Amino acid sequence: MTPLEAGFDWIENTSLSMWVRGESMFAFPLILSAHTLGMGFLAGTSAGIDLRVLGLANRVPMSELAKFYPVMWLALAVNFTSGTLLLIGYPYKAFTNPLFYVKLTLIAVAVYLLVRIRREILLQAEPAETVLRRGRSLAMVSLACWVGVIFAGRLLAYTYSWLLVGMPNNF
Amino acid sequence: MFPLFEEPEFAEPWELWVRATFLHQFVIENGRWLWPTLESLHFLGLSLLLATIGLFDLRVLGLGRGIPPGALHRLIPIGIAGYAVNVLTGILFFSGFPEQYFYNAAFWWKGTFMAIAGINVAAFYLTASFREVKMLPAGADAPFRAKLIAGTSLGAWSAVLICGRLLTFYRPPFFH
Repeated sequence: MTPLEAGFDWIENTSLSMWVRGESMFAFPLILSAHTLGMGFLAGTSAGIDLRVLGLANRVPMSELAKFYPVMWLALAVNFTSGTLLLIGYPYKAFTNPLFYVKLTLIAVAVYLLVRIRREILLQAEPAETVLRRGRSLAMVSLACWVGVIFAGRLLAYTYSWLLVGMPNNF
Repeated sequence: MFPLFEEPEFAEPWELWVRATFLHQFVIENGRWLWPTLESLHFLGLSLLLATIGLFDLRVLGLGRGIPPGALHRLIPIGIAGYAVNVLTGILFFSGFPEQYFYNAAFWWKGTFMAIAGINVAAFYLTASFREVKMLPAGADAPFRAKLIAGTSLGAWSAVLICGRLLTFYRPPFFH
């Protein structure tokens, strides 16, 4: 066993990890539900803001949309927590799947765009046409990132090659 | 949380009928790539639903009060599109493995919450509530009845999502 595998093996044998993987409906199933709910509110609210920046529902004052950011930060916190718990349950499964890193990268880009859209577009009093044009580009990339995050996240369940240390998929 | 369902020993006529459809064959034959794709689309659809309906509900409840609700309502067709995607992908899921859903308590709870959400939509659009909310100017507080409907909407759609996510854990064993 390599030192890295020994580390994952240690995590898998903690009682928290075993609880996540266990039979309790309050463990894996509810953590997964919270993760999906958080995804819906984070990706969903962000997508709604992107659509406004792209020009849909253009009578909605952009600065007011900044007030929905706490909802997204809460959803992000829920998903960071639930995602960490899922990782503790099956660390080897995620960390040995390249797609997992794609998902994390896309989330980082999407959150970065969220911050930029707020600062550079939503909170500008009288945005110039050049600013609005940049906003539309940011919103398009943001939407694409969320689509990627959702596809990558969903496909994690089908593309992993290891379930636990020493246990290949379809073992 | 939910009781486990008993599956009959032999497939019932309705199940045989579903299994004889073209959709069933299509899902079974292409499951390897089709199923994960359908699931991803189902998750995209639910995000679009929450994106638009959630934003509108939150505004009615008082968040982002500077937005006239009528202006935000322009996003609702996107949510309806998301709902349509989910109905279509949902029909394909059911066609592929009908017994996995029918003999599954989470499926019936999901349906129950969808019905509640649906009645709630009707309560909003078929009463004076929609007109009252649509006329609200920026900064105005929504009437209590509309807030009640918005809160029910958020709760019901969240419950639909959670029951959907729980389907996996209440599936009967694969028999047929």
